Order: sequence, then C-alpha cells, then structure tokens
Amino acid sequence: MATEAAPMDEKAKRMRDLLSSFYTPDPSISTPTSSISTSFDNINGPSFDADQYMDLMIKKSNLDVLLQRHVQMAAEIKNLDTDLQMLVYENYNKFISATDTIKRMKSNIFGMEGNMDQLLHKIMSVQSRSDGVNTSLFEKREHIEKLHRTRNLLRKVQFIYDLPARLQKCIKSEAYGDAVRFYTGAMPILKVYGDTSFKDCRRASEEAIETIIKNLQTKLFSDSESIQARAEAAVLLKQLDVPVDSLKDKLLEKLEQSLDGLQINPDEASKLAEHNVSSKDEESNNQGPAKIHEDAVRGFSEAMRAYREIFPDSEERLFKLARALTTTHFENMELYIRKRVSAADFLGIFRIIWEDVVLMDEVLPEAALSDLSAEAAQVTLKQFVARTFSHLQQDISDTLLKFDINQKEVVDGEVLKVVLEASGKAVLQGTTDIFQEFRQLLDENTGIFVKMNDLLIDWIQKGFQDFFRSLESHFLVLSGKTSSSNETEGLVEGKSSEKIHAGLILVLAQLSVVIEQKVIPRIAEEITASFSGGNSQAFIPGELCRVFHAASEKLLQHYIDTRTQKISNVLRKRFKTPNWVKHKEPREVHMYVDMLLQQLEEVGKEVKQILPQGTFRKHKRSDSNGSNTTTSSRSTTLHSDKMARSNSQRARSQLFETHLAKLFKQKVEIFTKVEFTQESVVTTTVKLCLKSLQEYVRLQTFNRSGFQQIQLDIQFLKAPLKETVEDEAAIDFLLDEVIVAASERCLDVTPLEPPILDKLIQAKLAKSKEHNNNNNKTTVSS
Amino acid sequence: MQGGSSGIGYGLKYQARCISDVKADTDYTSFLTGTLSLKEENEVHLLRLSSGGSELICEGLFSHPNEIWDLASCPFDQRIFSTVFSTGESYGAAIWQIPELYGQLNSPQLERVASLDAHVGKINCVLWWPSGRCDKLISMDEQNIFLWSLDCSNKSAEVLSKDSAGMLHSLSGGAWDPHDVNAVAATGESSVQFWDLRTMKKVNSIERAHVRGVDYNPKREHILITAEDESGIHVWDLRKAKAPVQELPGHTHWTWAVKCNPEYDGLILSAGTDSAVNLWYASASSTNNKAPESPVESTRERVNLLLNSYTDYEDSVYGLAWSSREPWVFASLSYDGRVVIESVKPFLPRL
Repeated sequence: MATEAAPMDEKAKRMRDLLSSFYTPDPSISTPTSSISTSFDNINGPSFDADQYMDLMIKKSNLDVLLQRHVQMAAEIKNLDTDLQMLVYENYNKFISATDTIKRMKSNIFGMEGNMDQLLHKIMSVQSRSDGVNTSLFEKREHIEKLHRTRNLLRKVQFIYDLPARLQKCIKSEAYGDAVRFYTGAMPILKVYGDTSFKDCRRASEEAIETIIKNLQTKLFSDSESIQARAEAAVLLKQLDVPVDSLKDKLLEKLEQSLDGLQINPDEASKLAEHNVSSKDEESNNQGPAKIHEDAVRGFSEAMRAYREIFPDSEERLFKLARALTTTHFENMELYIRKRVSAADFLGIFRIIWEDVVLMDEVLPEAALSDLSAEAAQVTLKQFVARTFSHLQQDISDTLLKFDINQKEVVDGEVLKVVLEASGKAVLQGTTDIFQEFRQLLDENTGIFVKMNDLLIDWIQKGFQDFFRSLESHFLVLSGKTSSSNETEGLVEGKSSEKIHAGLILVLAQLSVVIEQKVIPRIAEEITASFSGGNSQAFIPGELCRVFHAASEKLLQHYIDTRTQKISNVLRKRFKTPNWVKHKEPREVHMYVDMLLQQLEEVGKEVKQILPQGTFRKHKRSDSNGSNTTTSSRSTTLHSDKMARSNSQRARSQLFETHLAKLFKQKVEIFTKVEFTQESVVTTTVKLCLKSLQEYVRLQTFNRSGFQQIQLDIQFLKAPLKETVEDEAAIDFLLDEVIVAASERCLDVTPLEPPILDKLIQAKLAKSKEHNNNNNKTTVSS
Repeated sequence: MQGGSSGIGYGLKYQARCISDVKADTDYTSFLTGTLSLKEENEVHLLRLSSGGSELICEGLFSHPNEIWDLASCPFDQRIFSTVFSTGESYGAAIWQIPELYGQLNSPQLERVASLDAHVGKINCVLWWPSGRCDKLISMDEQNIFLWSLDCSNKSAEVLSKDSAGMLHSLSGGAWDPHDVNAVAATGESSVQFWDLRTMKKVNSIERAHVRGVDYNPKREHILITAEDESGIHVWDLRKAKAPVQELPGHTHWTWAVKCNPEYDGLILSAGTDSAVNLWYASASSTNNKAPESPVESTRERVNLLLNSYTDYEDSVYGLAWSSREPWVFASLSYDGRVVIESVKPFLPRL
C-alpha cells in the first residue's frame, strides 16, 4: 500500500502513523508529533475529544468552511475504510500459507523412527565385540609390563655398577658436570643400599668423587682458568655439598694478602711516579713499575669480578677489600707527601690511585669507591697543599739560618747581602714555584680533581694567606722579638734570643719589605689571573701587606733595639766602673769610644749590605714620631749662671757659647720615624746611643777631671759620628746635651782648654792610625 | 697625640727626679717632690691640687741639705717622709718631718726624725711599709738591704735585719709587695730579686737584665710589672716567673718608671727618657688567656693597649706617681723640674 500511496505521500504517511500507533502500546512515544497545543484540532491525537472539537469548529468557522470540512472528512473516512479492508485481506493470505507449510512438515517426520532403532542395535553389537578382544589380550599385556619394569631396574643397577668407571671416564675427559650429575643421581640409592649390596661400588664412586672434588678445588683456585670454568667449579662443588664458604674465605684471604703487593710503598712511590710520567712519553717502555702496578691492580679487580660472580654472597667482603685498598692507598699517599713531593709526582701517584679506583669501581660500583676516594682525596690534597706551604716556610728559614754560623764573617763579608738575596729569592721563587705546582694540580682533569677545583682554589688562596701569616710570625720568632706561645718554649727562645745575630734581624726586616712589595702583589696578581672565575676571597693581599709592613717596621725597630742594647752595655760598663768623683786628669780619649765606633761601624756595614741608600736629607721634621727633646731653657740659664761663677774665663766662654747657641737653635727632633734606608737606621741608632750616653751621664756625679774626660770623649766622637750620620744638627745637639748633662752633674766645671783638647785628640788619631797599620785591621777611620 | 693642655703644670726651681703621692693626706690630693741640684740649695715642695682640680698650689717649701735622689711619703703620717740624698761624693738617707704650723714660718726647716746611716755605698731607695700604720722601713744600697724599725717619738731608727745581695748584683731600686708584707722585690744588674723579710734571705729571682723600675699590682696578687731600658715593659706572674705574661712596647728610648694604678686593675703608667708618659691598659683577661692567642691578634691587641701618650714634656721624665686619693690623677716630673698633673679619665676604657 505504501508503494501505491507514493503520489499521495502526505496521506500515506499519516496512515502509517495511525496504524503504528494502533499497534504500539504507548501512544506518546509513537506519536511524538502530537502536542497539547494541537490536541484540540488534531483528530489523530489520543486525547482527541470529538465534542470539544465540534464546539471549537462551530465557534471558529463559518458555514462554508464547515461544509468544506465535512466533505473533506467524509472523503478521508472512506479512504480509511478501504485501507483497513486491504489489511485484513493481506493478513488472511499469510495465515493460509502458514497452515500449508505445517501440514507438509508433519508428513516428512513420520518415517524416521524405524531408522533410529536400527542404529542403536548396531552400536550394541560393536561394544560386545571389543570387550571380547580386551579380555583375550589382558594377560599378555600384564606380562609385558612386568618385563619392562624389571628391565628398568636392571638398568639402574647397571648404572650404579658402572658409576665408578663412568666417573673415572668423566675425570679423564674433565666432564665434571656430568660426573656430578651422575653421582647426585645415584646418591639416593647409594644412601639406602650403600652399606649392603653396593658397598664396593659406593666406595669406588666416592673415591672418584673425591678426586673430582679435589680437581674442582684446584680448578677453583687456579687463576689461569677462565672465570666461567671457575664459577662452574664452584657451583659443582656446592652441589657436592662441599663446604664452599670455607673455600670462599680462603680465596678472599688470598685476595687480601695480595693487597699488600698492591700497596704503593711510600718509599718507592716517587720511582713509581717518575716512571708513570716517563712511560707516558715512551710507550715502548712498558715494563715500568707503574705498568706493573697497573697490571697488578687490573688482576686484582679481575679477581674481584670473578669472585663476585662465583660467590654472589661475598660482595660485602669484596667491598671491604676494595675500600681497604683505597684507604691504604691514600694513607700511603699521606706518608709519601710527608716528605717533599713535587706536584708532578703527587699528581702521578694520584693518577695511579685514581686509575685503581676507577678499575675497582667498574667491578664494584656499589662499593661507592669513588665517593670514598673523593673524600680521602680531599683530605690528602688539603694536606698536600698545607705541607707544601710548610715546606716552603722551612726552606726559607733554612736559607736564612744556613749562613748565620760565623758571626765575625757576617759583619765583614757580604754574607748578609748573600743571605738576603738568597732568602728573597727563596721566597719569591718558592711562592711562584708553589703557585705553578698548584696550577698543575688545577689543570689536572682526573675525575676527582675536576670536582674539587673550587675547593682547591679555596685551599690555595687560604694556604697562601695562612702561609704569609705564619711566615710573619715565624720571622718574629726567628728575630727573637716574640717568644713562641708556649711558655716553656718561651724560655728556650728567650735564651737563644741573645744568640740571634742582629744582622739576621735586619735581613728579616728587609725581607719583609721584599715580601710586602714584591711577593704578595705578584701572588695576588697570579691568583686573580688564574682564579678570576672563583668567588673565594680567602686571600687578602691588602691585609697581608699591612701585616708585613708592620712586621718590617717592628723588625727594623727590633734591629735598632738590639744594636743599641749592645752599645748600651758598653756604655753602662764605662759609667758604672770608675769612681767619677775621684777621676784622674784625662790623658787620652777613653777606649769605650773605640768600641762605640766599632759597633756603629758594624751597624753601618750591615745596613749597607741590606738596606737601600736613602736620598740624602739634612734634617726632616715632617714625619716626627712623638715629641723631641730640646734644651730646657731654665737649666741652660741656670747653667749659664753657674758658668758665670766659673773661674776659667776661656773655658767658660766656650761652654757658654755652646749653651747660648743651643738657645737659638731650632727644636731638634730626636726620635723620628725610622725609614728603610741606610742613613735613617744609622742615624736612629746613633741618636739612641747618644741619648743613652746622656742618661748615663746624668746618673753620675763628676769631679773636674771626670767632666773633662767626658768633654774629651765627646769632642773626639763628633767628627766620626757626623761623618756617618744624616742628621748632623741632631747629633750636634745630642753631643752638646751630653756635655750639658755632664756639666750639670759636675762639682767643678772647668772645661779643657781647646789646645789641650786638640792635642789629645790628635794623639788618639795618631794612635789609632798606628794601630791600623800594625794590625792591618780597621777599627776607626777618621 | 694629646696636646697636653689638660695638664696642670708647676715648675720647680731646679732639676728634679722624684715625686711621691702623700698617701696619708685624706683631705687633699697632694704630692711631695724634691729637687736634684748638685750645687744649689735644694728644696722639698709640698704640692696640693686645689679642690676644683684646676690649680696646683705650693703648700709648703722646705730647704733640704742635699740633692734628693729618692723621696717617699710616709703612708700613715702626711707630715713624715723619707729622702735619699747625695752630697756628690757620699750618700745618705733620712726620715724627715714637716714642722707644724709651717705655713706661718718664713723659711721652715725640716725636722730630721732619723738618719738611716748604716749604709756605705750608693743608696737607692727607701721603702715604707706598704699599708697601714707600721713603723717598718726598708732601705737599699747597691749591695745591701736593711730593714729598719722607726720610732718617731724618740726620733730614732734601728736596724732590725740586713742582707747582702753580693757585690755583683748592684741593686738599683725596689718595691714592697702590698699583698705579702714579707716580700720585697729589688732590681739588680741582671735580675729582679725577691727577699723574704722574716728570714731576710733571697727567695726568688727573675732573670732579666737592666730593669729600671718595678711595681707590684696592688689589685692582683703575684703580678709584678717591670720597666726595662731597651725592651719595654713586662708583666710577670710571680708564680711562673720564667717568662713574662705580657709585654708592652714601652718607650722610644728607655722606659724609666712604671706604676700600677692603686684602684683600677690593669691601668699602668710608664715614664720614659723619650720625654713621654704612656698610659697602658693591660687587662686582666688578656693576662690570663694569653697563650691561645695567635701572634697577629696579640699584635693588634698590643697596639690597642696604649691608651694615651702624654708627650708635652721638655726632658726625660723620671718621676711618676698616682694619687691614691683620686686614683684617676697622676703626677709626673720631668728632669727640668716641671711637675705635670694629669687626669686619665678621658682615656679610660669602659670604666
């Protein structure tokens, strides 16, 4: 009907919808198009109310429309009627054909029953026949089975009887694996019947097995065998219930013993290092000890690898062994660097150790050897740095002390100069060398070193800083200025300090200057040049310069102190011994003047060797250190009063003149700052001595002759002192001061007449000249 | 450096070496000083610091027969003092009493209480019993040490005991231990020696050459300070006298005298022939833990130890005395006869 309704599509669709809605239980689903809004005028909707529809229609439409509607509706109803009729016919047709088909099937099934019965009968007969066959063959089969079992048993017996022979054969062909398999297979039987039927057999096979075990053990122990073979041997031994653990212990012990051979003997280390370096150059020379060592370690690590495979449970022991080797390596290294070692040698050894560690690390990565050795390496390296510095300090102090044996020579010869030059060189060269060595360390790119680079830079800087600091305190100790901190030692130092030669102190002072001005800037330069990347600030050149500057000044002061102390002793003896109140008339210039001049000459000589010549300046007032001593006006006037009463007119006027002159003289500075020049040091020494002289004079009381003696001595001193000294005004002033002091402490001031003074001085000069000629030795040159 | 404007000056007529604090004067801060003139009439001046502390007044001026090398005021009677004097050829020591009503006399004469006339050689110093009323005295010459008993009312002194140090030692000065009245230190040619007064025997010595001045620390037992010609000032602990516990650089030339402050522990004053007086602070803590210090630290510390240097002097300073009444005040005396009173207050660290 659908095909038929193709032209009247609208209509057919509605039809189908209606029909389907009729068959479908739920109308809301099948007619989704129906809605409440259209429900009133939708005739097809389920909720269609005819009366309502009619009311609506009548209300809404006029007659024409109603009529038209009526006609339309009548036509539709007619259509629906015919459609329904057609449907009924179709259904009926189908029903009839179904009835026909069922009738046909019934007739076909009817003949099957007879065939089925026939089939059942035949199967029954087959079964009975097969039962017959079974029963007839049963006996024979049982027999065969029995025979088979016997044969198996016999074969086993045969196997056991054959076992010894078989084992022997296996031993011969070294097929230990088979042998062990055979033996273990036969084991249960042997265990049960071993004591009865198979006694001999068992004994024989056990013997064979023993030889097998023996062979396996030798195989296990022999290093020439492959690891595979040895591992197999170990497995076999284990299968044979041989106590493998004790074997393992034995093996490991052996391995441990071999450690001794691997150690780097500190005594031979240098040789090793040398060869290591040289063998790199010439590949042909493979028999160097380094190579031997390397092979040994390689062997060791191979062994470890083997044991590790053979005895998987032995790892702990092996770790321990490897660690022990590493530690002893580093311990030996420490011993080794206790002696002097160059960085190259150090590196050589270090490389060897590192190679060893790498080798072992490959075998036993879990042992964390690289961590361990990194730690140890840090310690060692740090120690190496520290030791290198202490060696350098030792070197420097050796150079300083080497020459200072014969003091006489020191003064006369150029020894001080030599010492200064040598030690200066030692410091400069030493520090640069050290630096170069450290550069070598830094350039090294062995695994650990790369990691430690920053640390190393830090250590080096810190090392330099500490080195210079300790050098400074060492200088002070050497000079006897500070006794070392230990008190008992302090006593020793105190004693020896008197033996310390003054020249050495001067050398130390100048050396400090050299360090301050040359060495430290140079090192600072090198450090900034090399470690510009590093952010470590351990090396502070400014601070060190200050330290050494202070040290140099301190040492120079100490030098002057020691020198003046010596002269003071001369003076003290001079003034303590005679009774000045009962002094005899002066006959000649006193001896002590010679000693004084000699001492000053020594100072001059020492200073000339060490210190630079200063620009000659008459008298400085700029850098005065503290106050000065001038004549006190009152004492001068007092003195002039005294003079006025003095009886000797000429002498009086002479003295008076000096005093008057002093009144108008400028304030003279006595205690000026010492500079690092020959003149400054000599001048300071002379000044201090003259001041001491004045103080000694002030403590005495003189009679006329005593005063005259002082006058004479001072007069004599004037010329040679002025010659040696930069600051003439100060010397003049101080010499005058001595005279003034003497006159103040004199009971009867009567100066010597100038002619007599002259005569005595000339006599002294002549005498000293003669003395010079006689002894060919310089004492005073004037 | 300090300009010296704070100091109060006073000029003596002649040169002088010694000045002493009048300890027994509790009402005023006063000092006694004596001149050293070989040929002139020597004088003893009694100086008093005015109550405002701005002026130094000459309270008394007494003529003294000879030049005075040492002067010490009696610790319990402000009118009594001792001098060591020299005629140029011989030496003498005497105890003097300032006359009562000396202000009203025109030229008051000193009363000689006693002469300590057992000496033959050059007498160095007279030491009074360090504290309290006791009539014991010590006098030293170059070889001998005498213990005297002084009787003021009878105007006599007698030797209780004596000991000879021997020819070689040539004693030069000394100090009486304020903590142990039986101990006396004497400086000699090559060592500082210690006597026990009960047995009058030498008990101990510090081997140290050329010690000029010596003083006990009145605040801490066993601590002794020495001043040496060239090698500065040393602080010693007498229980371990082998090495000094502390070292101060001293003066540019000789360090002549050294005095511990009577009240503030560690405050040391030194006078030198470089015409300067230096004020040091040698703290007790640094004295105790000197050992662990690194040399550098101690150097730095040494620099800080010098609190001030008074340099306003024209000549060597020999005389030095703290006031016991006002312990921040000291008197110094330079050879040209100039007394300068200074206060250390501005330089004290956290006191």
